[in-house]
Amino acid sequence: MNGMSRRSLLRAATGAGLGALALPGLTACGSSSGRTVSSGRVDVSLWTHDPGYIKTFQAAAGDKALMQGSRFDYRVKATNAAGSDVVTRTIAQAVAGGNTPDLAGVIVDQFPRVMGSAIAENLFVDLSDTVRPFEGELLKLAPYSVDKIPYGLDSDNSITVLYYRQDLFAKYGIPEDLDTWQDLARVGARVYDQHKVSLGMVSTGDNGAIVNGFLQFLLQRGGGIFDASGELVLDSAEAVEVLEFMAQGVRSGFLMSLPDPYGAVCGAALKSGRLAAAAMPNWYNVYGLQANAPEDKGKWRMRTLPRFAGGGHVASILGGTAFCVVKGKPNTEAALELLRRVYLTREGQLLRYHSGGFLPTLKSLYDDPELTSVADDYLGGQRVFDVYRAAAADLPLYYQAPGMQFLSDLLGGHILQALQGKTSAAAALKAGIRDYRQQVKR
Amino acid sequence: MTRPVATPARPEPSTARPAKQPANLAERSWWSRNQRSLAPYVFVSPFYLLYGLFLLVPILVGFYLSCTEWAGLGTPRWVGLRNYRDLLTDQSFWAAMGNTALYVLFTLCVVVPAALLIAQALNARGLRGRDMFRMTYFMPVVISPIVISVVFGLIFDKDYGLVNATLQAVFGFGGVDWLGDPAWARVSVVILVLWRWTGYLTIFFLAGLQNVPRELYEAAAIDGAGPVRRFWDVTLPALRPVTAFVAVTVLVNTAQIFDEPFLLTQGGPGESTLSVAMFVFRAGFQRQQLGYAAAAGVILFVVVFVLGQLAMRALGVGRSTR
Repeated sequence: MNGMSRRSLLRAATGAGLGALALPGLTACGSSSGRTVSSGRVDVSLWTHDPGYIKTFQAAAGDKALMQGSRFDYRVKATNAAGSDVVTRTIAQAVAGGNTPDLAGVIVDQFPRVMGSAIAENLFVDLSDTVRPFEGELLKLAPYSVDKIPYGLDSDNSITVLYYRQDLFAKYGIPEDLDTWQDLARVGARVYDQHKVSLGMVSTGDNGAIVNGFLQFLLQRGGGIFDASGELVLDSAEAVEVLEFMAQGVRSGFLMSLPDPYGAVCGAALKSGRLAAAAMPNWYNVYGLQANAPEDKGKWRMRTLPRFAGGGHVASILGGTAFCVVKGKPNTEAALELLRRVYLTREGQLLRYHSGGFLPTLKSLYDDPELTSVADDYLGGQRVFDVYRAAAADLPLYYQAPGMQFLSDLLGGHILQALQGKTSAAAALKAGIRDYRQQVKR
Repeated sequence: MTRPVATPARPEPSTARPAKQPANLAERSWWSRNQRSLAPYVFVSPFYLLYGLFLLVPILVGFYLSCTEWAGLGTPRWVGLRNYRDLLTDQSFWAAMGNTALYVLFTLCVVVPAALLIAQALNARGLRGRDMFRMTYFMPVVISPIVISVVFGLIFDKDYGLVNATLQAVFGFGGVDWLGDPAWARVSVVILVLWRWTGYLTIFFLAGLQNVPRELYEAAAIDGAGPVRRFWDVTLPALRPVTAFVAVTVLVNTAQIFDEPFLLTQGGPGESTLSVAMFVFRAGFQRQQLGYAAAAGVILFVVVFVLGQLAMRALGVGRSTR
């Protein structure tokens, strides 16, 4: 064959393809450029996993009182995606120089993904100046901070309270005001023994759910997984005590082991009355109880958590979603102002509660008459802010670190073994910490 | 390559427009001189272009990434073979390799024979409702993974599950923690694999069975062969090419298993059902370790490629049976 050989032709085609694909894939990184929008009509793109946020931001954009004095005329273009996908796609789009959102809703357990390799720093707006006027007033900022710089505003405090079936408590003679977990566990063991009814649950499903359930109790007890500087502090007496408490609860039947606290099995347990109480965050009222057992409207109540005899708080936290503003985009300034108006003003916080049930993140709002008078029909008309106020005043602090995902994957199996009585709490935690240290040393 | 037999007639010199006519072969354009020999390559080039773009390029880029440390943003940092060295000492990776090997072994030893037996049953003469059976066996392939996840989560639940309830009713025990115990969780995943893919593979075997000449069975029957002997001596040899194809396909696909453990157990409890594909996904998209994930992906690719080649040679895929 004259001219070009077959090998040369194939080589040329491969080379062209390699160049065409590799170049943008490997070098493009950062945000799309364009003229900054400083006033007038602006379409803010919002990525979130929860339709409640879409409803909230769209309602906020159309709320004249909330937007009074703004230079911007907002429209919210929402995209619904799975929680982990929001982060994955935001990063992928940033790498490709593509269409990143203006506002990204990052679930708390996904935030560690952006804590390493300066991803948060490169991707999101530093909110230090935005939150400075609210120093001491914002309840939960630490989980979304990297090197003490906040990159997201939490939507909800995710305050953990004790939900309980008042009718079943009366039926089985369970006092509603027991002071400590130990007291409740003792009564719970008796109730399970006699009626096969549990007063709480532990998750035995995926590693994330297992560790989150443990973390919820650990934070309440006054412990934690990481400290403010990102150092692992799991090797503590509190951690062992909490895991022993949970394992003992499972053994006695006081705590029911469930694969998924929101799934069909949990729904069956709630509907059948086999689960008469649960320590869960405020959002569980809507997404767990009302979703799974709407027919139990009026039977449930809530209270602050019983304390651990050894100390700690009357509340805990589980979950949460922060909204981050993607930096370097034409709409960045507008998105930041929208976030500030919806999240850092009284009107915005009230709108958030009424639109999506998101609890205020500013302390002062817990004494606001418009909220303190709220009565929850599902909870028998209970004035819920009486409980939330007391809980918000005693919330534990929670810190994350880039290795949180590793820890969650590695610790889950060991915690499960302890819950199943196959190993001791101390041995399980020791093994989990050992595995974690081995993996993060890379 | 042979040259064309018929060569085009050389154009006659023309006095009308001499400047536009090439005086000899050397003056003709490169394309004119080579078009006959290049034409086949032009026609096959779309395939090779796509092959290069979507197969070779990802492999090469993946290998490059596997030698870097990259979280997604910023510039990848070259670390040589460090990711491979780390993988060799990563207990999670070895757990994933062990689980994947288990899934492959199970699929080859249980799912493929089960599919063959079901196909044999469906191929029997006089079977009523054959289409219904085929549809029933094939249906798991087209059911939404979300539905599978929810339904099997319920079926295998320790307290409320259908399996335990059935075991309790029939045998008097039913306390198996299908999804919470590491060993039983693996069993649950392989049961899901069995349920999901047996019917799909049955279709291939059924197609193969319908091409087995009936005369062979008649001849074997005349020679006094019973049903079992006919199956061993007629059906299996006749199905050898189909079986080889199915075995290699299943080997390659199962080595990359992701859906079943992800849907049912998320790789848990602990890492007891984690597969290599899940390991890659977790490293890349949950931990932002794209270089590390790429290294695991390259190892998976090499292992699957080598095993696939070995299996193809052993089973004679692509070779003439004569």
